[in-house]
Amino acid sequence: MIYLDTPEYFDLEVTVNGQRHKHRVPTHLRLLDFLRDTLDLTGAKETCGEGECGACTVFLDGQTVNSCLVLAVETHGSEIITIEGLSQGGTLSDLQQAFIDEHGVQCGYCTPGIVLSATQLLREEKHPTRERIRFELAGNICRCTGYQKIFSAVANAACKHREV
Amino acid sequence: MTSTTQYIGKPFKNVDAEDKLTGATKYITDMRFDNMAWAYPIFSTVPFGAVRQIDLKAARSVPGYIDVILAERIPGENQVGVIVEDQPLLAGKTVRFIGDVIGIAVAETAAAAHRIAKLVEITYTEYEPYFSIAESESATSQFIHETNIACSHRILKGDPAAAFRKSDLIVEAEFSTGSQEHFYLEPQGCVAFPEKDGQIVVMGSLQCPYYVQKAVARALGRPLDGVRVIQAPTGGAFGGKEDVPSELGARVALAASLINRPVKMIYKRSDDIQITSKRHAFSMRYKVGVMRDGTLQAAEITLQSNAGAYATLSSVVSYRSTMQSMGPYVVPNIRVNSTAYYTNLPPAGAFRGFGSPQVAFGHERMMDLIADRLDMDPVRLRLKNVLKVDAKTITGQQLSASVGAEETIRQACRISSWETNQATGSTDGRYRYGQGIAASIYGNCLGAAGWHMDGAGVNISIQRDGTVKVAFGLAEMGQGALTVVAQMTAEALGIDHRRVVVLLTDTNSVPDSGPSVASRNVVMTGNAIRDAASKLLPILKAAAAELLGCGADDVTIGSDLATDSKTGTEVGFAELADYLYRGNQPTEMRGWWHVPQLDFDPDTGQGEAYFTYSYATHVARVQVDTLTGQVQVRGVWAAHDAGTVINPAGLEGQVEGGVAQATGWALTENILVDRGQIITSNLSTYLLPTALDAPPVETVAVEDPDPRGPWGAKGVGEPAFIPAAPAIANAISNALGVEVYELPLTPPKVLQLLEEQEPTAGMP
Repeated sequence: MIYLDTPEYFDLEVTVNGQRHKHRVPTHLRLLDFLRDTLDLTGAKETCGEGECGACTVFLDGQTVNSCLVLAVETHGSEIITIEGLSQGGTLSDLQQAFIDEHGVQCGYCTPGIVLSATQLLREEKHPTRERIRFELAGNICRCTGYQKIFSAVANAACKHREV
Repeated sequence: MTSTTQYIGKPFKNVDAEDKLTGATKYITDMRFDNMAWAYPIFSTVPFGAVRQIDLKAARSVPGYIDVILAERIPGENQVGVIVEDQPLLAGKTVRFIGDVIGIAVAETAAAAHRIAKLVEITYTEYEPYFSIAESESATSQFIHETNIACSHRILKGDPAAAFRKSDLIVEAEFSTGSQEHFYLEPQGCVAFPEKDGQIVVMGSLQCPYYVQKAVARALGRPLDGVRVIQAPTGGAFGGKEDVPSELGARVALAASLINRPVKMIYKRSDDIQITSKRHAFSMRYKVGVMRDGTLQAAEITLQSNAGAYATLSSVVSYRSTMQSMGPYVVPNIRVNSTAYYTNLPPAGAFRGFGSPQVAFGHERMMDLIADRLDMDPVRLRLKNVLKVDAKTITGQQLSASVGAEETIRQACRISSWETNQATGSTDGRYRYGQGIAASIYGNCLGAAGWHMDGAGVNISIQRDGTVKVAFGLAEMGQGALTVVAQMTAEALGIDHRRVVVLLTDTNSVPDSGPSVASRNVVMTGNAIRDAASKLLPILKAAAAELLGCGADDVTIGSDLATDSKTGTEVGFAELADYLYRGNQPTEMRGWWHVPQLDFDPDTGQGEAYFTYSYATHVARVQVDTLTGQVQVRGVWAAHDAGTVINPAGLEGQVEGGVAQATGWALTENILVDRGQIITSNLSTYLLPTALDAPPVETVAVEDPDPRGPWGAKGVGEPAFIPAAPAIANAISNALGVEVYELPLTPPKVLQLLEEQEPTAGMP
């Protein structure tokens, strides 16, 4: 978070994981910090803070964004889904289950961002090729797995023919 | 082995995956504590100098200011060196690199702590800094420490001079390899909080809790008993959280004890890269004498490594690189000298492979150079010299069992169709194609240099309801430690794996089990589990005998049941557990295992360097773009002898991840430094392999069980990395018909190689 001696404030109204929130926030507050520090939704992670790694990925009005590059005030009136909102009711999505089955998780720090990026892909394309999966996940850095088992997890979920 | 086991050798799902997939896992960055303050390091902005003055006026004006802590307020010892005592917790007078921490800013918010750290005005008297090995080596005064040499190691075996004279061919070459940033996705972070009873608790992202415990106790002048370290779920480490968390842990503990509040410190990425340890850059000189039939006769090797400003783990990195400097080959006459030099760069420390990847580049490039000069197939040359059972390593250690090196070479060739797929220098428009092979050796656990701390333990506790809690002394950092511990415990006790809960590591639970490094978790913890199980099983059998009305010798335990083998009557494990409690029987046991005594002479480098070795061979195929210099690794075929495989899914995950990291080190991860300042300080300039860059990997396990490993297992975490980069380099050399002598092979360097074009052997 950036330090400012005299920050300005804004009354933000936003829906996060189906819940409406009203908060007075500094205008320079990043969406990532709003989610993590104000709402205690810590699934989105900060790794690079410059939009390269994808660990802070969330859905903003149905599209994935790097929440470190979005100001909280920009989301006024919008709908946000974070990783915490993906498996509401405690049931894992097919995609999340596929990550377990295919051993697609190691340290887990990139995992929420990758799951959301892959969710976006499977909404756009029910049966992506492995090449398409590779391409669509190129904005999410993983340092542990070498990606191969992540590709398999996405392909496995796509095989299930169900809504993810 | 797998046919008689219930869990060992079967793919096992990660026990901690679900919480990581839902965002429920709380890493240290995600944890909050009541009344928590924030800390941030105040660090040197000059590479080498003396601190003249520290002005806190501007810093104190920041709203939320709590404190700035300098060296004189450390109640205990101002020392955080892991092996060599050369590193102050807070630099007092001398600063030795940009990033040397001078003080700790403490504030009500993270942003205010960052601001304070920036506003502390420090003036320096600057000294002439040393950045390269050559500059450090040639210094005659104003050394970085008492001397510029951090450590040295040697091997002398046989009579190298005489053997060179008898050799048919002598090949010489010089190599260099670059540094590498771990770039664990979760940055360094720790929290410390004082407890009412006076104990200080440190939680953090770390891989060596007992190192942190010692560092905190030392800085605060307390007994170990006064410090508890709990490992938080850790978002990647790769060696980068071996030495460094001792610094963070001791600094937050110092702040927490001084202000009597919980204090948290999380590094910003660019500072994490500037301040913390990395892979050692190496310069290597190899001279190898060989007979016409390819038999290696003699070698003379000089290894020089850039240790940076403090020794941290340089002495053991240098030790390992020396012992493994000729890879998995027999060389009867050899001299090796290894020296690590202090420079005014961030300290080099532990990074997956720990000195092995650098020498693997050296010995595997040499094998290809020799094969080329002898006009011999590179695979045949390797097979001719490879270590086998009863052969002696370059330290004169006779290998008694579990030497799968040869089989890894054969299997890597088989699964990659090495012979039928000869892609040598083939061309398709602007692209050229090639393939390369590299073999490697990895000494398991800490070896003779660290034998005094190479023990580890578990505490297995059977609950009244039949659940089983396991505390272990090593750490999960993404590699799947919790999973294999659950798997091995279920196997050892013959119970359903769903009964087993593995606890995160806590220094209060298990005695000092040493560091979670050197690919040692499976071997150490697995053997400790078997030790604990050997104490629990007789108790379980006696109780079952009473319940079943048979003799204890007739009871067999397995598949979650105790069975009277004569009558076939059974009792379930949950009932058995409850019976233990009702009968006032012991339900909890410690398990411990220590690496067998090693006989080693450091003066000659002869003896048992490590108790056993893992082996691996990788084949890589590359496509080189002659227009841009970009290299695409099209595939890696990996054969690993890690003894018996505990979790095949975990092994594959380690190999694929290791290969990806090695691909980065080989091709794109290039740390650029401008007078001690790292200018590749985040992902836009420091290029990690993305989903488009990491190659597909086919893995095959060569299971050559080690009688001293649990169920025959050896380590694989680091071996996964070691042969990949040299295999890629050999493939590039094969594609272009040009010898390569350095890593990383970034596009500009590949274009340079293309300009040379004429194949050369020998000195570059």
